[in-house]
Parts: sequence; structure tokens; C-alpha cells
Amino acid sequence: MLVLTRRPNQSIMIGGNIVVTVLEVRGDQVRLGIKAPRDVDVHRDEVWAELQQANRAAALPDRSAVESLERLRRQKPDA
Amino acid sequence: MTMASTDLEVPTLNFAAGIPGFPEVRQFALVWWGDEDGPFSIMTSLEDSSLEFLVVPPLSFFPDYAPEIDDDTAERLGLASADDALVLAIVTIGDDPTGATANLLAPIVVNRHTREAAQVVLTTGDVPLRAPLFGG
Repeated sequence: MLVLTRRPNQSIMIGGNIVVTVLEVRGDQVRLGIKAPRDVDVHRDEVWAELQQANRAAALPDRSAVESLERLRRQKPDA
Repeated sequence: MTMASTDLEVPTLNFAAGIPGFPEVRQFALVWWGDEDGPFSIMTSLEDSSLEFLVVPPLSFFPDYAPEIDDDTAERLGLASADDALVLAIVTIGDDPTGATANLLAPIVVNRHTREAAQVVLTTGDVPLRAPLFGG
């Protein structure tokens, strides 16, 4: 892993089009600003992992299960 | 609440940054599912037609849901106002339809005019990744 030391308001350039700026350091928290192209998705690592898992679980819904879901919805007055 | 695909003349959504878990796919067709008055749509990948997601306008199940889109995302999707955005939630059915959940933490946000889309992680509010559709 590349290790660089930066101060608040200093940045790191990645790949010529992604800029990560240290905005603020307070206690054990660091605030970062990230400027990236539109096709680069930026997430907190743990959120990214959870989302990947959730999306994989949601993919390929079974048609008969979707039908059951729609029947359930019709039965529930609040939905 | 039927704010979904009927508003989009050619409902092809372009996810410039892909979707977490499926980085290789960018384009999805949004197809109404079932009866016209039902809320569900199916999002089918144009690159891999076997990849589908069930999506629903969250307000049809969660009337109090009011996602706040951060400025950076609004800029990336070219959203000038809230009216430009179509919001959809991915539904996970799992083993039992009664336990189906909607991903409210990371809704799909679509620019109605350009159909640019992204799965957006909300940074404000305390919203669940798995919100039960039927009362919990």
C-alpha cells in the first residue's frame, strides 16, 4: 500500500482525474473531499460491501415470487 | 402512486457508474410489471438479459419516505430540481414474499429527462437497507 502524509487542504491525485482532499482532521476523524468523474462511484468501503451483498441478494427475482408479492400487496389495504 | 416508467418514453436507464455488485453493467430497460395499477417494475440489464431487479416507487409502500439527494449526486445526474428525479427502490423478495424488503438506504435515482441513473447512498436521515414492505 502506498502511504502518503497530507495536511488539511492538501490533496492526492489519483489517475489524473480523481482528487482526494483532506478537509479537516478532528480527533480520530478525518473529513475527505473526493472529486471524481461521473463514471466513478465513490462509497464508504463498508457501505459498498453491504450494498454489493444486498444487490446480489435482490438480483434475479423469481417471477412467481413477484406474483405472490403483488397478491400480498392487493390484500393489504395500507400498501 | 404511479410515478414510474409511464413517464419515460424510452425507458432505458444509463448507470454511468454501474451498480455495486455488478460493475460491468451500465444500461437497464425499465419495464412495467403486471397490471397497470400495480407499482412494480422490472429493471433488466441490456448487457446481460439474465440480470434483473424488481423495483418499486418507494412512496407506494412508504408514504413518509423523503430521500434527500446530495448536491454532488444531483450535479452528476444533472438534476436541477426534485421534479427532475424519479426515485425507485430495489426490492429483495428472499425466501418468502411476506418478508420482502425494499432498499431505502440506497435508492435508484433517475433523471427523468436524460435517463441518467445512479444507485445513491443517502447520507442524511436514518433509513434502512432492508425495509419490510409488509409491516415488518
